[in-house]
Amino acid sequence: MKNWFWLAVSLLAAGAQAQVSISKNFVKKSIVVTSFTGAANVSDALKNDLRLSGSFDIKAAGESAEYSVQGSADGAGVKCFVTQLATKASVLARAYQATGNPRTTAHTIADDIVQAVTGQRGIAQTKIAFIYSPKRGVKELAVMDYDGYNVRVLTHDGKLSGHPRWSPDGRKIAYTSYWKDFPDVLEADLTTNQRRVVARFPGVNSGADYSPDGQTIALTLSKDGNPELYTMNASGGGLRRLTNTKGAESSPTWAPDGQTIAYVSDDRGSPQIYSVSRFGGEPTRLTVSPSYNTEPAWSHPPAGSEMKPMLALTSRVGGGFQVGVYDSGTQAVTPKTADGDCTDPTWAPDGHHLIFAKLRGYRSRLYLLDVRTNEQLELPALEGESSEPAWGPWH
Amino acid sequence: MRSRFIVQVVALTLIASFSLTGCSWWHKHFGPKPAPNQSSNGTQPGQLGDKSLTPGTEITSDRPEMNGTQDRTQFAAQTVYFDYDSAKIKPSEHSKVDAIAAALKGNNKKLVIEGHTDERGTAEYNRALGEKRAQAAREALISLGVAADRLSTASFGKDRPVEPLHSETAWSKNRRAEFVVVGQ
Repeated sequence: MKNWFWLAVSLLAAGAQAQVSISKNFVKKSIVVTSFTGAANVSDALKNDLRLSGSFDIKAAGESAEYSVQGSADGAGVKCFVTQLATKASVLARAYQATGNPRTTAHTIADDIVQAVTGQRGIAQTKIAFIYSPKRGVKELAVMDYDGYNVRVLTHDGKLSGHPRWSPDGRKIAYTSYWKDFPDVLEADLTTNQRRVVARFPGVNSGADYSPDGQTIALTLSKDGNPELYTMNASGGGLRRLTNTKGAESSPTWAPDGQTIAYVSDDRGSPQIYSVSRFGGEPTRLTVSPSYNTEPAWSHPPAGSEMKPMLALTSRVGGGFQVGVYDSGTQAVTPKTADGDCTDPTWAPDGHHLIFAKLRGYRSRLYLLDVRTNEQLELPALEGESSEPAWGPWH
Repeated sequence: MRSRFIVQVVALTLIASFSLTGCSWWHKHFGPKPAPNQSSNGTQPGQLGDKSLTPGTEITSDRPEMNGTQDRTQFAAQTVYFDYDSAKIKPSEHSKVDAIAAALKGNNKKLVIEGHTDERGTAEYNRALGEKRAQAAREALISLGVAADRLSTASFGKDRPVEPLHSETAWSKNRRAEFVVVGQ
């Protein structure tokens, strides 16, 4: 009896540790942001950007910090000065032209600060596509800034939508639409506001994902039997079948080198992640446990970085669902979340941020997570529900 | 003494309400108010900007149009139910498929078979699982002599439950294939 007790305690402790694993190599830089004279709305948004970047420990006014950010507005725009306090060195001194939108100005400044202090490109100017549900039974395509502001609902079909994915140039979004009461893949062109049909075959058309060069779309079709993986030209035509099993395949995600595609197959019972060449052929099984792994997403590390591509996914853990990262060496999935039902992770172009959907109290909201620290930040809540996020590219 | 009693009753009621109805009730009445839904330039969180996409160009398809007549009542009693994670037609459901096949003899009715899952799990995989369920029903009807070109499938994944509650009972009612007569 006593042995079981201590076993349970140590398992609990181990579990708790796994959930709070913090990279030992990563240290935040402390920074204090003084309200910009005449442009407090810019510095407010900027402080939020620096917080969301995950790279900074934001200190209050008067506290000591490694870096200080100050600024002021004049007729032409905003000036920003970043100083490294120990050396009094100027890290950034720049004038930004007025854009008419303080948040846009703040995002530009934030990326400059992240670049100057950490040497990495920031995410403050990126966009998120997602599925917005204003009420039960209706799901529309929407986009917003990465920080949850500037939400624009793009469709008003009053029907269901799902699974948005960006083209690599950031101009188009392929997604699943029930505009004709069947699941079809449409492509929305954000520069022309037009939509065109990508796939409208009998059965299911869904799961569209663009190749890294933007030329090919991988998707799920069931026109020839149960749901299988196909590729086609992004411009239309050129359909090629990649899989042929008795189970269902779904949810393709292109690897950053454009040579393989990871996807879901339940051919052996419950859904697991596999990988196959972009030309089809013998698949490789990736995940073996837990018993349900879906919605794989390959990260695309920035060019020139030493980061390896990572595969995020959704696992069923203890009856609920958590976002995890797959390790190809151990074939293990490390959970990155532990509360609520967390699903559908999408990677930022910086290769170390994720946005995912968390269901709590049966309401789905989007959260940001930095895999370097496992810190989660909730994005501003909307009336209605948000799900299936897709992080847009740098461009 | 009396006020303490009232405080206790109020506290217990709040706790009971919270635990019975969950966070949504609490957030609705005590949490931060979501911003009102209004057309704007969408610069505040919760405000929705309006930037509509045009509907899209048609391509021809040999799929039925659902804006024609749809009859959901004719085979409502034959909705087929599935076990968790499964697309197998259970023996207990065979008589329903038999009844549909019999009703389709001697006429030219067309069906759209809709596949559904319960709310658990991810949306995209559930879309594939829903399609497997619809196809299992379709295959069963074909094996009973119904012509394949009379039967289309449409998966709704987890997005169209009949039971909105979050219990085993509700989930079992949502894992289903429905048979809709179309285009008459």
